[in-house]
Amino acid sequence: MNADRMRDLAEVWGGDLRRWPETERRAAEAFSRSAPEAAERALFAARQLDAALDAAPRPAVSAALRDRVIASAAAAGLRARTVWPGLRKLLWVGGAGWAAAACAGVVFGQVLTSDFERQVQLDVVLEQASVGGLDDTAVLG
Amino acid sequence: MAAVADPDEDLVRRVGQGDPAAIQAMVARKLPRMMALAQRMLGDAVEAEDVAQEAMMRAWKQAPRWTPGRAKFDTWLHRVALNLCYDRMRRRREVLMEVTPDRPDPGPAPDRGLLAAELGARVDGALKALPERQREAIVLCHYQELGNIEAAGLMGVSVEALESLLGRGRRALRAALADLAPGASPDAIGGRG
Repeated sequence: MNADRMRDLAEVWGGDLRRWPETERRAAEAFSRSAPEAAERALFAARQLDAALDAAPRPAVSAALRDRVIASAAAAGLRARTVWPGLRKLLWVGGAGWAAAACAGVVFGQVLTSDFERQVQLDVVLEQASVGGLDDTAVLG
Repeated sequence: MAAVADPDEDLVRRVGQGDPAAIQAMVARKLPRMMALAQRMLGDAVEAEDVAQEAMMRAWKQAPRWTPGRAKFDTWLHRVALNLCYDRMRRRREVLMEVTPDRPDPGPAPDRGLLAAELGARVDGALKALPERQREAIVLCHYQELGNIEAAGLMGVSVEALESLLGRGRRALRAALADLAPGASPDAIGGRG
């Protein structure tokens, strides 16, 4: 590599060595290390053209286009998938079963409680009646 | 054949699974690139939007069946967008066959200072005035920052042919923009100095 060769390559690939073909880049980097001023001069004009190219307006993406493209993913059939869809169904059914069992328990408990309360009330009445009877016997002799 | 290392591999896999965050990341990463490619190839923002949107739609369809290691996803997407651009350019040629092509605005006088927007417009005009294949070479190598082998592969030419297209394209741009450099000699931008 020498300054003329570097200038010729820069006219094609531009002033940024990172854009150069790998085979040429290594030799150019070595030349830049050994003769930095000559390398800078060889690249200068190409860098000016690169800078001019970079002055061209950068095409912008509108928010509307972005939204349309994101929406098009669903239209193309891309939707989040669970790993085991059957497992979720099973868990849901299981949960529903537990909920139903809990409801049944509450209802059963209420019925049982009311039956128990009725029995207690009955016992109290009978007991009061029995006590009353005892009192009458005691009074009447 | 050795597997191709692809920086987009994981993202494509997640897009293929319908991951909403990955879809948004893919849009952020690729849509501006496709928009830039299409607009610089076609020189028309509305047509470029259509091309970019269609290219992304094809990316969504491809992602679930993408086989990693065979090619870079970005290269494949460039291929898709370029083909869409070629179709439109071919249609334009058919329509405009009998019409004299527009010549680019020669721009302001050399001694006039340019605002950034004016400079951008001048460069844009000079790019549009290039022959299609030269413009394509410059768009792929300079703006899209593709490697020479990748760009040559996309254009269906050898690296030597790409080098020739790039060299001619840059020389034409240098001549078109010569008046922009201080001193305004024909070799002022990109020439031997």
